[in-house]
Amino acid sequence: MSGWAQFRAILRKDLIRELRTRDMLVSMILFVLLAMVIFHYAFTVKENADLTYFTGGMLWVTFIFAMLLGLNRSFAQEKDERCLDGLLLCPVDRVTIFFAKSAGNLIFLLIIQAVAVPVFTLFFIEHNYAGDLLPFLVVLLLADVGICALGTLLATISMNTRSRDLLLPILLLPLIVPVLIAATGATTLIFAEGAGFADLAARLLFLLGFDAVFLVAAWGTYDFAIGE
Amino acid sequence: MTIEEGAKFVASAYAVILAVLVIYYFMSARRVSALERDVQLLEDEANRRQGPAGGAGAG
Amino acid sequence: MKKLVIAPALFAEAGICLIAGLLLGFWLAPVDASSMGYSQKIFYYHAPIAETALVAFGVSFVAAIAYLRSGDLKWDRLSYVSVRLGLLFSILVMLTGMIWGKAAWGTWWDWEPRLTTFLLVCFLYAAYWVLRSVVDEEQRRATYAAVFAIIAFIDVPVTFFATRFLPAGMHPTVITTGGTGMPGSMFVSFFISMVGMTLLLAALTRRDLAIEKLKDRVADLKTTIGG
Repeated sequence: MSGWAQFRAILRKDLIRELRTRDMLVSMILFVLLAMVIFHYAFTVKENADLTYFTGGMLWVTFIFAMLLGLNRSFAQEKDERCLDGLLLCPVDRVTIFFAKSAGNLIFLLIIQAVAVPVFTLFFIEHNYAGDLLPFLVVLLLADVGICALGTLLATISMNTRSRDLLLPILLLPLIVPVLIAATGATTLIFAEGAGFADLAARLLFLLGFDAVFLVAAWGTYDFAIGE
Repeated sequence: MTIEEGAKFVASAYAVILAVLVIYYFMSARRVSALERDVQLLEDEANRRQGPAGGAGAG
Repeated sequence: MKKLVIAPALFAEAGICLIAGLLLGFWLAPVDASSMGYSQKIFYYHAPIAETALVAFGVSFVAAIAYLRSGDLKWDRLSYVSVRLGLLFSILVMLTGMIWGKAAWGTWWDWEPRLTTFLLVCFLYAAYWVLRSVVDEEQRRATYAAVFAIIAFIDVPVTFFATRFLPAGMHPTVITTGGTGMPGSMFVSFFISMVGMTLLLAALTRRDLAIEKLKDRVADLKTTIGG
């Protein structure tokens, strides 16, 4: 079975399993929507507080914490049901597993974002920003790739330790602060000032570079992370 | 800011550096003595067990 | 009983350089002409400590790669000893940086590139220790730690680069594109202190490695006796 076929098979398995039960997706979506409600009450203590420059921050904090929940859940499930052990017995290249799992996590994150962003604009954004949609989608995709790649690598490690759920945030959050800085900056500029590709060039290039560097790094080390 | 006030900050910065390094060094020095003591005790114990019985021990 | 005195020559050399650097900094180099004035003198140790912390993390990075390639636990030992020392120096960078900030700009904390990068570096490598503490099996612990040490070190320059997107801070740039921007006498003091700090790192590393070997010896003896 070629690498590409293996990749598709593993990805299909993960997607089908989740779409059949949908419990992880539903929980993550509910979490994201609830978080937005909480943000409203957290930040509008002052009457008519102006949240224009908080939009990027609120959005990405929500996504990152939803991702942590999702990663914990999907890997815990794999480990408890011994799926990963079964997979490792097959003659599959470890790196293929990494890319398939990252792609699966990326797709879940995109689904959640597809639900969350419209609701977010309903709650927090006054003006019509249809023209800004394309830059925003590019930011979203670039940041998501970095978060999913590192998240998949670290979840693989943390799942095999004593304090599984608690370890992942501690490992992942410091590493993705740069992504957060670039993504929240770009997102806020888009929503608050209608920034276009020209203004966002530096941040977009940074995210691209981040993704490239860490995809290669994760690719190089995943063999060791997934173990014997 | 006058030189005296500046000097107070400078002095405290260097004092902090010295304090942290010295504390680190002495904490590890204490650990070293404890470990050396352990090594000595354990080596004596190992020799004692191998000595008289020459194989009658568990190892 | 043999008394363990480790790397006395290295410590002595480090001490000489550091004291020389300090004296030069105070008596040879002029008082800084900018608004920082006298408090700039903190720089002669603060910047070398920062460089040394990064060197320590670099050593842990190389040692981690060496461990993954060879499986020899002595590389793992070097890696985590270096991380520990790097953390120690990073904490010192933050403490001295905060004191300097208070002296020069009146505030204990500012979200500017260097302080924030080192704060994040502290969190990163603290996570390294947490990871080590929750894996019981030796080879697996070394493997996971090595993977994380590699990823973490790559993230350090990335983080520094990213924090420059934040609004301009108040931290003076040491090395600009057109030379160091420091009069010669300042540079000499800074350079000697930097050599001293690096020697100190080498001495402490040697010492900590020897201590770890001693710990392993104790553990080995306990198993031989117990079994």
